[in-house]
Amino acid sequence: MGRLMSRQTRKNILAVSGLFAMGAMLVLPILTALPALAAGGASATGGPPPDVVMAQEAEGEGEAEPVEVGRDVYYKTEGPVVGMPAPKTEDTEAFYPRYNFESRVLLWVANQQHLYYGSFVLAVPIFCMCIEFAGLITKDKAMAKKYDQLAYDFIKISLTAYSLTAILGGILIFTFLTLYPAFFGYLSSIFRPVMHIYALMFVAESGTLYIYYYGWDKMKEGMLKWLHASMSVVLNVIGTVLMFLANSWIGFMMSPAGVDEQGRYLGNIWHVIHTALWNPLNVHRILGNMAFGGGVVAAYAAYRFLSAKNDEERAHYDWMGYIAMALGVAFLIPLPFAGYWLMREVYAYRQQMGITLMGGLLAWLFIIQATMIGILFLTTNYYLWQALGRMTGGERFQRYIKYFVFILVVGLLVFITPHTIVMTPAELKAMGGQQHPVLGNYGVMSAKNGGINAIIMTTIASFIWYQRGNRVPAVKWAKFGNIFLITFFVVAHLNNIWVACYGYFIPANVRIGLSIPQVAGTLSCLFIGSALNLAMLRQSRELGPIRWGQIAPRSQYALIMLATAFTWMMGLMGYIRSSVRLFWHVNEIMRDNSPWAYTHTIGFGANVISFNVLFFWITILFVFWLGALGAKKAPVPAMQPVPGGAPQPATSHY
Amino acid sequence: MGELITEAISIGWPAFAFLTGLLVYCQVRITDPVQRKNALFKTGIGMLCVFLAFIAIANYKNNFYGESRLLPVSLVMITCLTYIMGIYFTNIGALMKIGGAMFFVAAALSGYGNWLPQVEGGFPPPEVKLDFQSMTQQQLADEGEKIIFGGLGQSKVQGAIGKGQCPLCHGFNQGFLSERAPNLWGIPDRSHERLKHELYYMDNPTARPTVQKEAFDGSGTATNGQEYIAESHACPSCFVVPGFGVKGTNDTESPMPRIHKPPISLTLGELAAVDTWLYVRQGMEAPTYDEIEVSYEKFVPEADRPQASEGDDAAAGGVLATGEEPITDLFMKAGCPACHTIPGIEGATGKVGPLLLEGSNAPQRLKDPAYKGHAQSTREYITESILNPSMYVVQDFPDNQMPKDFGQKLSAGAVNKIVDYLSSLKQGQELPALEAFN
Repeated sequence: MGRLMSRQTRKNILAVSGLFAMGAMLVLPILTALPALAAGGASATGGPPPDVVMAQEAEGEGEAEPVEVGRDVYYKTEGPVVGMPAPKTEDTEAFYPRYNFESRVLLWVANQQHLYYGSFVLAVPIFCMCIEFAGLITKDKAMAKKYDQLAYDFIKISLTAYSLTAILGGILIFTFLTLYPAFFGYLSSIFRPVMHIYALMFVAESGTLYIYYYGWDKMKEGMLKWLHASMSVVLNVIGTVLMFLANSWIGFMMSPAGVDEQGRYLGNIWHVIHTALWNPLNVHRILGNMAFGGGVVAAYAAYRFLSAKNDEERAHYDWMGYIAMALGVAFLIPLPFAGYWLMREVYAYRQQMGITLMGGLLAWLFIIQATMIGILFLTTNYYLWQALGRMTGGERFQRYIKYFVFILVVGLLVFITPHTIVMTPAELKAMGGQQHPVLGNYGVMSAKNGGINAIIMTTIASFIWYQRGNRVPAVKWAKFGNIFLITFFVVAHLNNIWVACYGYFIPANVRIGLSIPQVAGTLSCLFIGSALNLAMLRQSRELGPIRWGQIAPRSQYALIMLATAFTWMMGLMGYIRSSVRLFWHVNEIMRDNSPWAYTHTIGFGANVISFNVLFFWITILFVFWLGALGAKKAPVPAMQPVPGGAPQPATSHY
Repeated sequence: MGELITEAISIGWPAFAFLTGLLVYCQVRITDPVQRKNALFKTGIGMLCVFLAFIAIANYKNNFYGESRLLPVSLVMITCLTYIMGIYFTNIGALMKIGGAMFFVAAALSGYGNWLPQVEGGFPPPEVKLDFQSMTQQQLADEGEKIIFGGLGQSKVQGAIGKGQCPLCHGFNQGFLSERAPNLWGIPDRSHERLKHELYYMDNPTARPTVQKEAFDGSGTATNGQEYIAESHACPSCFVVPGFGVKGTNDTESPMPRIHKPPISLTLGELAAVDTWLYVRQGMEAPTYDEIEVSYEKFVPEADRPQASEGDDAAAGGVLATGEEPITDLFMKAGCPACHTIPGIEGATGKVGPLLLEGSNAPQRLKDPAYKGHAQSTREYITESILNPSMYVVQDFPDNQMPKDFGQKLSAGAVNKIVDYLSSLKQGQELPALEAFN
């Protein structure tokens, strides 16, 4: 036995060493490349790159031509000019080769499809990591097995999507090269080293993903399982760096840095990457990807639920849909705050850009976005109310739903009320001013913030209801806790409404600051309310089990709605972000002189977004179908009895 | 509808042929009458759905660039067909119903996007080279108004905006709310007071608390009102009016871009026009062009001065189009598609001006009691509208939006060619062949 153990230990040590070696090999090229790249491939003192220096030395000492120095458009630092100016394009076939169709729409579709798949395959491993670790740390063996199965199901879906992501990436590059060669040539001349690192990281991501997936069964016990879970961390680190690198390209296009006014690269790659909008974009995108990934997996679960052949399958996919929805919404809640940060940085970078977005040409698109955010929260609430139906005791809350509906609808109507909108002169004439005679008085920012905060707080309350669906707190201080919780929510709502109304009586620049107490109230409800509720449920009386699988099928359509709306909103926001550059390929550096350098109407944009959304869903449904076709592992029954453990359905809430 | 069905059949005939073949095959091969009836029914449902699908595709194809508001109808059709398929083809029922739900959501959102007021960004402003130096003060002020507001007489129109983009942030009229940047009413007088402001530090730029002390090293500060205006344009962060700085910078940095830099990139000539308008509209005598230019030269180093476009010298005596161009190029060069929808001209989907179905419109306009022009025929009416757009302004469209100098910018041949094409466009009739006008 001892000998066997030692062999097992040796195997484990070998495996851990292997993992570290793999990690080191992955990180090594970056570690060696970054210091040199940060100095633009030049000496640490910021001089010209080695080839230039060598050329100068070859010409003879003291006769070297002075290196031209340029000034960074954003950082205002000086650096040696080592790149060519941005091309000045013209509307000719040489700069803009074309088919008998709008090149911009072709690129738009290629880009969006790649982005959808890229977001999905980057988000799912993060879920897998969380779920696998949840399985590892839980003491309940049946639950651990369920979590493990769920994580495996997730990664299986993403694996098929992964190859499609790579294919779409290839299509995107070919589209760039063939339709926008001048622009792509310029961009790749600036980002040459970053693009190479990106490609290497993609290889590393693929390798890690395949080992992670195919090693699932081999590494399911003891130390090896921990090793396997650690690999998911490596996988996600690589994935996140990949996304950050890709974000640097769009960040550069929106808010260029590291180049002079003519667009000439000044040798500092970190400046080019770390532009004004890079970090807000990174945070916004990572949260958005997670919400989107949750939506896609929830839709997959809904599909499997609706096509399930027996109760066990239905129970498993009901549970899977719930977890995916909860994860997606958990990341949806901070998303508006990340959006506010991004917008704030946009305003700080260029005020006109912010105004074009929020009060100018693209403002109507934000009305659509507001509507969609409202719809997403309404749908989430609807799903949670439906889910109460599978719990004994859930009916206690049914009679209050109508009040929640009232708050949500009023909140949504306030949230989507416009204040200042862009109009044609004829419309202006008809309306008698830029603000609507009635609505213009109401749609101020503090009131709109009040609307969305009321919606979010109501969603949090719905979630607390859901957690209490089949349970009654049994802690000694339950009565006090309930009174405190109700008072807390009522006070938060009153604060929110009061601040929303107060905003009408103060100037706009002061009014902006009112969002802070409103958001603080909502976040307090989220953190304090949820934490208090969980503490109260630590000791609770169970009214009955959760009947997984016995949820109304219409709830699954709510998940489908969530997923489709997430996808649509992502397409919309991407369109807005890209359109705000107006007629610039690279803002203020490289002008777009193609025949498509204008901004389409909202309707046209909405139609292309719908096309993109449906194209993605048609292809991903195919991926789902493939996933179901290749299913080898039978799902672990969700209703499996748990010997001596905590009640299983309730545990799954946390 | 007939057109749509014809188009659908012409696109989808192989699918219809295949289903017809399948129908015949099932009827011949299946002997059990119940199964045969079932196959007949299901194939029929399949044909109906395929027909709906191709109607939807034909609708999409026909209206892609035109009536884009009709496109969500296609999505509704596909929603219907997927639900029909979901009901009758139970083995793929879940997939079809899910697909249907997705098409429904997309249709609703697309419909919403199309229902909202449609605003198109328009092409970037053409880079026209003007000879500002030889203009009279009023001409210079008119150009300034165009640069600020996008057109003459637009200064009191809310939302009017020109190349300078100033009204995005600044108010220009007395009493107008101007929260993002100072209201510029009275600036010629106020500029002198600004020089005495405690934070301005005239002749002592190093004492300034702002992030940028001088427009460029050694430029110094303004010493008179006009120089103050020039400095504000060239170096907005050299002095920030209290309360209007970038949030969190304690008014040490201005959110305004340097006006001679991208994205606005006004030339010194254009800046002179803008400044002249600021004086003239208040009934004041503006400094001369040369004086204004000198004030800017103090704050804008030579290397930073944007040059007027070399490619397009229409305003300097040249013409936008000679009439020798193909008709589509001619319209593009003249810039008509930016504001007008012109049937048959690709990309001419502007909504600022009326739809140019002039073969039908002109005779009606000539009969309109409000028409006070001199034209007697369709051709004359169109010519008059191009050369003198304010002679008759179509109802619901603003006056003074269309440039009034097409007489100078288009050759007689070009105007004739445009008139030929527009007069051939009639409601309900087929579009003329473009080749006939090339």
